[in-house]
Amino acid sequence: MEMKLSLAPLPYYWPRSRTLAFYREVESMPVDIVYLGETVCSRRHELRAADWIDIARAIAAAGKEAVLSTQALIESESDLKVVRRLVENDGFRVEANEMGAVRLLAERRVPFVAGASLNVYNERTLALLARLGAMRWVAPHEMNRAMLEALRCGAPAGVECEVFAWGRLPLAWSARCFTARHFNLQKDTCEFRCIEFPDGLEVKTRDAEDFLVLNGIQTQSHKVHDLLPDSAALREAGVDIARIGPQSSGTAEIARLFRAAIEGSLTPGEADARARPHMPADPCNGFWHGRPGFERVGDRGQKSP
Amino acid sequence: MIRLPAFTLPAPVGAIVSRLPQFPPALALVAALNLALGRVIPREPLEPLLGKRIALVVTDAGLNLRFYLGPTGFHAGLAAGEPDLRISAAARDFLALALREEDPDTLFFSRRLLMEGDTELGLLVKNTLDAIELPRIDAGDFSPIGLIERLMRLR
Amino acid sequence: MNQAAAPAPARIELVCPAGGLPALKAAVEHGADCVYAGFKDETNARNFTGLNFDQAGLREGIRHAHAHGVKVLLALNTYPTSASFPRWERAVDRAADLGADAVILADAGLMEYAHRAHPELRLHLSVQASATSYEAINFYHRHFGIRRAVLPRVLSAAQVENVVAHTPVEIEVFGFGGLCVMVEGRCALSAYVTGDGPNCTGACSPGKAVRWEQTAEGVETRLNGVLVDRYAPGERSAYPTLCKGRYQVGGQTYYAIEEPASLNTLELLPELARAGIRAIKIEGRQRSPAYVAQVTRIWREAIDRCLRDPAAFAPAPAWIAELNKVSEGQTHTLGAYSRPWK
Repeated sequence: MEMKLSLAPLPYYWPRSRTLAFYREVESMPVDIVYLGETVCSRRHELRAADWIDIARAIAAAGKEAVLSTQALIESESDLKVVRRLVENDGFRVEANEMGAVRLLAERRVPFVAGASLNVYNERTLALLARLGAMRWVAPHEMNRAMLEALRCGAPAGVECEVFAWGRLPLAWSARCFTARHFNLQKDTCEFRCIEFPDGLEVKTRDAEDFLVLNGIQTQSHKVHDLLPDSAALREAGVDIARIGPQSSGTAEIARLFRAAIEGSLTPGEADARARPHMPADPCNGFWHGRPGFERVGDRGQKSP
Repeated sequence: MIRLPAFTLPAPVGAIVSRLPQFPPALALVAALNLALGRVIPREPLEPLLGKRIALVVTDAGLNLRFYLGPTGFHAGLAAGEPDLRISAAARDFLALALREEDPDTLFFSRRLLMEGDTELGLLVKNTLDAIELPRIDAGDFSPIGLIERLMRLR
Repeated sequence: MNQAAAPAPARIELVCPAGGLPALKAAVEHGADCVYAGFKDETNARNFTGLNFDQAGLREGIRHAHAHGVKVLLALNTYPTSASFPRWERAVDRAADLGADAVILADAGLMEYAHRAHPELRLHLSVQASATSYEAINFYHRHFGIRRAVLPRVLSAAQVENVVAHTPVEIEVFGFGGLCVMVEGRCALSAYVTGDGPNCTGACSPGKAVRWEQTAEGVETRLNGVLVDRYAPGERSAYPTLCKGRYQVGGQTYYAIEEPASLNTLELLPELARAGIRAIKIEGRQRSPAYVAQVTRIWREAIDRCLRDPAAFAPAPAWIAELNKVSEGQTHTLGAYSRPWK
């Protein structure tokens, strides 16, 4: 069976109209699964849980699997309320991004997706989650091919494996909002300034090298984690689903190029070359190759500058 | 235990010492290290240091003590080229570290200790020394005057 | 020994770091209720060259601590991969055989093993498990019977109180030391730049990737070539961790993530005691015995005074001064415990 494609939850804060327009475009993108919801910051309110459920309905009507993703960092009782609302929705699968959501989903005995931030690094943890209802798991971003293959050897049957294959890497979460900090604002009175940065706020080192982007409480890589050249290797390693991160432009084209590489109408190399114009920064793929994440490893395993 | 007082060697002392040959103080240092090696300082964790050139720079004394660890022990070294690891601090702070009165990271945060070169080697040295159980030493033995006298005797 | 002289059994345990035997003994001597330690390998999140315990060292450490009525908690809080899982299992077995009072774990699969293989062994949930809500903590309680959870340094004091109110699990919080600004267990910054990170290899900013260099523009610190910061003469320096670097954002150069400062919650002690936390953790297994002695002594005195008379409790200025001296950046912050920090 061919590898499926999924679209990660939108990590950035876009104006409501732009978000709604984006997901109307997603209805016709060549992706099989669409993850939806606010996973980064509970203060963001352009769309509420009910709005995301509405979008899920439209995505499902377009013939795709819609999944509701929970927030990765839970701090308050109101954060938990949103998790419960998503867990108790009828009809849509939920991606659990912390163990509290796993507990609530397991109690309801509904199948769920185990998100990347659950840190599933071995088959024992995966088997445990599978017994509790995980039907799919997303590999942690740091996981390399060898680790994944070793895990797949002992993995419980029937649990799908998904790998983040395109986009800026979510590297860290904090209680502090770094976008608000940039504007000398406190998080509680942040004025929602992250809405001004549809691909995150760029961070350079003091010698002017591109390094990170700030996305509210989340820190991402400046480089684009790009496994298009490795798409055949993903399949060989037993990956069932390649995940694409939304970006402010070119997401549909990236999905088409992944699809072409998977179906074989383009070689991974050709598809990657065509993806370059849609890449907001230089590519990297070090994590997949067991190297520092920001490195780019070529086809023959050599490091390129 | 007497707390080590804050002091800096007077500038003239540093100026004189920096013009002296640096070899004899380095010899004295390696002699002391070799006495400890295998008895107080365990040999095995220091294996990665073999052949590495280390420089201890006593900033206010104008001393640059260069040595390396060979298969038979520490040797005072005059080898040319950059050391693999250079640790710089004032005499008072080196003593405070030796007496376990100060934490190296504390000195580092306040820029009183600088470690250049192979940081991994530096951590190894620091952590190996931290893991040694030392008898208590009286800080009184290390008064500024006594220290200067001993430094001068190393000529 | 403070232990014998303590006025009443402490309702808040003081949990102190031990990177080696001298540090462990310093913690015991100066009034720790528990020390936490790790083996000399990547099974724990402070896997630095020359640090931690081999089997004989840990046996001696446990003997010494137990002789003085102090508990030893063993951190096995990195995430084993499929290939390395058996080694982490053996580490749990060794900890149990040596008589550790608890193991501190992050990986759910490993926790399941420990729960089954050593039903008598106390399990603590590591901060590396990123459990910030009572629902998450109760998940581990329900499945593995954990007795204590260490909260990531991201919750406000009121949020900590809410967690305590909704779980049967004892709550331990960080009181002093290096401040992870990021949710522990969810930070791949070090791995992104160096290939080594807390989750898999137990090292944030490993020494082999760090270079300090005196340049014309000041002392530069680089992590695998990435410029973390540059210090003018006399400027306070920080650990070469990526979250404490100075970067350029929108034309400004500043600490984009966090200033070098240590967490110090001394002034919140009465509030944390009232919230019902059961233990306070001091960070710093990578620090020297001198640090452990200084910090343990002050916190022992502070906790004893606070528990005797919480209403009258105020941190002594001398405590704050001495703690600032050993702090990163020589200053301190309340971190996430105080809402404005966020």
